[in-house]
Amino acid sequence: MSDAPVTEAPAEQPAKPRRLAPVISLVVAAVLGALFWVLASSASGPTDESGVIESPLLGRPAPALRSTTLDEEPFDLARRKGSWVVLNFFNSTCAPCRAEHPALVEFTEQQASFGDEGAELYTVLQYLDDVNNVKAFFLNRGGDWPIVRDDDGTINVAFGVAQVPETFIINPNGEVVVRWAGQIDANTLSQLVQQQRDLFGAT
Amino acid sequence: MLAEGVNGLFGHTALIIGLAASVFGAGALATATLLKDQRLVRTVQAYVMVALIGAVLAVVVMQRALITRDWSIAYVQKVGSYDTPPLFNFTALWSALEGSILLWLLLLAIYTFIVARRYRDRMSDPLVAWALVTMLVVSAFFFFLALGPTDAFQAGGVPNFDQCCKGPNPLLQNHVLVLFHPPILYLGYVGFTVPFAFAIGALITGRVGEGWLMETRRWALFAWGFLTLGIILGSWWSYEVLGWGGVWAWDPVENASFLPWLTGTAYIHSVLVQERRGMLRVWNLSLLVATFSLTILGTFLTRSGVVNSVHAFSDGTIGPYLLGFFGVIVVVSLGLIAWRGDRLRSPGAIDSPISREGAFLANNVVFSLFAFIILLGTVFPLIVEAKEDRQIAVGSPFFDTLGQPIGIVLLFLMAIAPVLPWRKAGMELLRDRLFWPAWCSAAALAIAVIFGATDFAPLLAFTLAGFAGGSAMRQLVLATRRQGYRGLLGRANGGMVVHIGIILIAVGLAASNSYTRAGEFTMVKGDTVQFAGHQFELVDVVEFENPTSVGIKALVSIDGGQPYAPAISKFTAQGMDVSTPSVKTGLFKDIYLTLGNGSKPSTGTAKLKIFIKPMIVWLWVGGLLCAAGTILAAFPGKHRRRPTDPVSAPVPLDEVADV
Amino acid sequence: MSRTSSLKRWPGWVLLLFVVVGFLVYGSTRDAGARTPEERVEEIAKRLACPVCDGESVYESANPASAAIRQEIKAQVSSGVATDDDIVAYIVQQFGAQTQLVPKASGFESLVWVLPAVAFVCAGVGLFFAFRRWRTTIDTVPDDADRALVDAALAEQDEPDEP
Repeated sequence: MSDAPVTEAPAEQPAKPRRLAPVISLVVAAVLGALFWVLASSASGPTDESGVIESPLLGRPAPALRSTTLDEEPFDLARRKGSWVVLNFFNSTCAPCRAEHPALVEFTEQQASFGDEGAELYTVLQYLDDVNNVKAFFLNRGGDWPIVRDDDGTINVAFGVAQVPETFIINPNGEVVVRWAGQIDANTLSQLVQQQRDLFGAT
Repeated sequence: MLAEGVNGLFGHTALIIGLAASVFGAGALATATLLKDQRLVRTVQAYVMVALIGAVLAVVVMQRALITRDWSIAYVQKVGSYDTPPLFNFTALWSALEGSILLWLLLLAIYTFIVARRYRDRMSDPLVAWALVTMLVVSAFFFFLALGPTDAFQAGGVPNFDQCCKGPNPLLQNHVLVLFHPPILYLGYVGFTVPFAFAIGALITGRVGEGWLMETRRWALFAWGFLTLGIILGSWWSYEVLGWGGVWAWDPVENASFLPWLTGTAYIHSVLVQERRGMLRVWNLSLLVATFSLTILGTFLTRSGVVNSVHAFSDGTIGPYLLGFFGVIVVVSLGLIAWRGDRLRSPGAIDSPISREGAFLANNVVFSLFAFIILLGTVFPLIVEAKEDRQIAVGSPFFDTLGQPIGIVLLFLMAIAPVLPWRKAGMELLRDRLFWPAWCSAAALAIAVIFGATDFAPLLAFTLAGFAGGSAMRQLVLATRRQGYRGLLGRANGGMVVHIGIILIAVGLAASNSYTRAGEFTMVKGDTVQFAGHQFELVDVVEFENPTSVGIKALVSIDGGQPYAPAISKFTAQGMDVSTPSVKTGLFKDIYLTLGNGSKPSTGTAKLKIFIKPMIVWLWVGGLLCAAGTILAAFPGKHRRRPTDPVSAPVPLDEVADV
Repeated sequence: MSRTSSLKRWPGWVLLLFVVVGFLVYGSTRDAGARTPEERVEEIAKRLACPVCDGESVYESANPASAAIRQEIKAQVSSGVATDDDIVAYIVQQFGAQTQLVPKASGFESLVWVLPAVAFVCAGVGLFFAFRRWRTTIDTVPDDADRALVDAALAEQDEPDEP
């Protein structure tokens, strides 16, 4: 509409009263029609569905991850090379994270049956989560895998975690192979790990 | 329990009555106008009255349901709680989508009622009749929305108190401005329905005169005043509640309110050209249509979840209806303009670009350009997504970059236009009239530099603001010298008061955007830090408890004065942290304190963030001046020429100065 | 017109020009003081969108993800190696293109910069031609249609005009 004064000019010309209004209206209508189409075809609202999503990390070595666990043990992801690692980003106040917890407990039990081949699960805290809340939650709801602190947010940023829960699978070469956003169930996670194992074995 | 509680039943009934009254009223009035049946025309008053009663009843019933915590209604479950204080329980009406449509409906019904009463003796005039039909059709659409897609009185099932009934969003129960900002903003939005309706009436009747314009000028002015005040109050709310220290974030919802403001502002300027010179008729009609359709488009963008925004009440069901309504408005208006546009062709011509009308035309181009850019930036992510199926974002840096030069140009036009006479101006006249305003600009610049202002863009903004302020003051001084206090009344003079308000806002924005300083400090009780020439002492960190929240606050003494208390509250029901800033307000700078996560009363530590924000108060004062100026402008000034007078003869020179 | 009218001729204006240009040059070139690390963090945070909370920048948002990003920016700023652009690029790489608030000036996105420029040029050119056309048509004699318009306007004068 910004060019309307342009279009206004001919309409003001008294010498040749041309019928310009319909033409101009048509042009404006075409532009608005395009806008209308764009708006009408837009999906409404963000999709909160969970599932496998893209990440720039896929197929690349996982970012360096050195921190301590809630048990004050040092943790270094690089030292876990040779094992399958599952990182679960967690916040003790987020509802899907809490709902997901039994699935993770079940997953660790499933993986225990693989012995040394089984994937190791680590919870990584979201930045600013209250450590005492986390401890209380794990005490109540079970789960004895290590919980990794992220006191300055670097790990969350390095993995590009926006919305917890998120789950990453890292292969024995230390490469990120799967990123899962949202809540996950035990069987899906085990299957994802198994798929990656098969792929990894094939190469 | 009944399937539908008594409130739900009454609410639905009220809305159905209102819908029926609007539909039948519109139908009856349209038929009567086409058949020239005077008796039937008179019946429309009753329909309008019934529609108003329906809308009032719906709102009253909803308030009753909220006050009595009637959990049988889904909306009350969504926004009500036993603990919400009465004030915020009252404002809960507009704290979510369904209720805000009720508020919209109420205001629309009131406007429709006033229009019908005011022009009841002129209802036989087809232009007025078609305008009222348009308003009733719009009312019918909103009654329909309130009944169907956004049914506020929907039955809510048995409440599960673990999950529901937690009260409004914590951000909406944190500040008294929640009481004022939405209704005033809506008064502005909805108010533009009236001039739009008259524009449609004028198009349908094809009446080439300026009669419709006379009717709408003051309505548009009031709507504009409310919209301006609403936007400013919204910024104030954002500043006082959100805790990031800013007033405007170019959020899609903010943009949605700014778009009609831009086209509305363009209209209230260009309408003067039509009144005075009889020109730009099609353009003015288009601006009114654009303003109204942009309010609907903005509502669509922010209420349908298409554009993501913190303010948005994302709800997928309403989108298609609003978009459809927008489409209908655009198609009907464009069709009418295409049909009638050439008939509205005006006989005038602009003699010289250096004239009042030339400046207004330039103003209109700049405002339209601004509106185009903001609309583009707001919907651009959708365009990219539609075309290339990937997500991008367009944010404040984009709008700031493009908005700055436009703001500078507008300030320049504000300086020049008020001294320009209609038709034609010579260089000599400009030199003479602009002399003192130009020195005001030099003075503003000098003061800014002396107080330590740096950088080119803000300095240029201060210079031009001084220039524009000088021009506005010149007009006011001349007018009051001639007419005493009456020199403040009337459109031209009231308009200058508004200009000064806008200039204050521009100065406040330029200063606060450019010279804000911020620092973060982790302090322990008893610590003192120096920042930006002030001394901050952490006196204490304490816990507190409210009915709906628990939190901690830090008591910070600034330069040894009384303590200010920035706080973080956890709203227990929603599990949401809200950081409440504490502001020491001053004429030239605000000291804005926020408390960060990680502060602990047990150890007496506080993570304090300090913003030094210059000239924020100027925004609020400017907003008040805009409101005051709008009211002054609505008073009739000294004897004015009738706008419908033919203006082909040159206007006498002595008259040139004071319009 | 006024006692000061002689002052308002060119000497006054030239003096004014010198004063304004002088102050502008002095004010805009003097040292504004180094940016504090906090201010640098802020500038960077304002260029990034919060990855979860719709429509807010990292600077405004209170979300933990944004807080983590701010913390990361702070760490990178205080380490002093990366430039602002590097830090923004790193965050955008980690969180996806929708976290970049300033659209790129390449590819399809460049349209968001090009279209305003095109609109600006069109508006300017259009305004220029509109004025020119109006000026050239100023001497035309009113035709019958114009007279009819004036008659209609005059006829409407009998209507009450104040609402």
